Amino acid sequence: MGSSASLAAAPPPPVAPPPALPAGLAQVLPQKAEEKGNGKGAPEKVDWLDLPCPVPYEELQREALMSLKPELFEGLRFDFMKMLNQRFALSHSVFMGSMEVPSQSSDIIKVPSSHYEFGANFLDPKLMLIGRVLTDGRMNARVKCDLTDNLALKIHAQLTNEPHFSQGMFQFDYKGKDYRSQFQIGNNAFYGANYIQSVSPHLSFGGEIFWIGHQRKSGIGFAARYNTDKMVVTAQVASTGIVGLSYVQKISEKVSLASDFMYNQMSRDVSSTFGYDYILRQCRLRGKIDTNGVVGALLEERLNMGVTLLLSAEVDHVKKDYKFGFGLTVGE
Amino acid sequence: MASRVSLKAKGKRKAGKGSKPAAPEDGSAGGLAKEWSTWAMKKAKVLAHYGFIPLVILVGMNSEPKPQLYQLLSPV
Repeated sequence: MGSSASLAAAPPPPVAPPPALPAGLAQVLPQKAEEKGNGKGAPEKVDWLDLPCPVPYEELQREALMSLKPELFEGLRFDFMKMLNQRFALSHSVFMGSMEVPSQSSDIIKVPSSHYEFGANFLDPKLMLIGRVLTDGRMNARVKCDLTDNLALKIHAQLTNEPHFSQGMFQFDYKGKDYRSQFQIGNNAFYGANYIQSVSPHLSFGGEIFWIGHQRKSGIGFAARYNTDKMVVTAQVASTGIVGLSYVQKISEKVSLASDFMYNQMSRDVSSTFGYDYILRQCRLRGKIDTNGVVGALLEERLNMGVTLLLSAEVDHVKKDYKFGFGLTVGE
Repeated sequence: MASRVSLKAKGKRKAGKGSKPAAPEDGSAGGLAKEWSTWAMKKAKVLAHYGFIPLVILVGMNSEPKPQLYQLLSPV
């Protein structure tokens, strides 16, 4: 695709000259020179053989997703997490509210539903097991195992009692010195692979391919990410006709702003989202506004040690859909 | 001909209730392997569905420092 070629010619990597201090000053203030060299002030010489490891391919847009796609919900949510020791925890979660049923027409159909979810988490540096089971029998399982220092195996499964609705995915991740690669096998004969490589201390490029056996469909995509301490820019293009760009700017330690642009060539759908993320001492407030006429916000306020209040609101002016939710999280 | 077909249909219905899979019609190795792997996947799915959370609890209760059994049930 033409656009992927233009992305590959994206900003050239920065090359910085080594810092030069007059000899007298260097002798008088040796420590200050060292600090300046390591800090953000003076530019450093780039070691092209020692580039940092890039973020995993699926977390390319992680900063943008954290700000722009908070977990908005409608209804009541109560979560209780009980730690039995520092690695093992049990969680109980109650939800009462309306779930949206996808419908063919433009009407919104909401079905009131409630469920209780029991979960068990075991988190070890080398092994992570997370299991969640709902009252209607649906089970969600995640396993992450570090087979060696560089190779990790991840399993994600969603099992239901209804036949043919279960899904499972195996992922093998290999982390190299300045690259990461991943191979995925999923049910319905889904095979995928992706690879991301650092080309400079701030810039990394990646690509992915996938193949769906049952529908005989395959796809290829490319991605690029440029990040500094203050901002992250990502771009993704896929052969399914989707172009996505995102830009996150960190204004200060507490505030960051994000924006996202998505264009779908098959359905001629364009949408853009702008959002903010305030991380304050006692609360975290995230809000977003969309070109589809959706405004949403999520507030997580720490009331006391271990008790967090959640307030969620999502207003869709175009479809006249108003969703408000409140909840409480007890435990870490 | 018709009696052979009806016998085969009866045999398939009997075997489909969760017991081991019957041999395919032509007895090919590929078809046999596919039926056995489907049976294995179904059993693995049921095993994972019922056994994963007990497995996590077992691994967690045996990790250091060992939690007590009453902590599993009480809300404190």
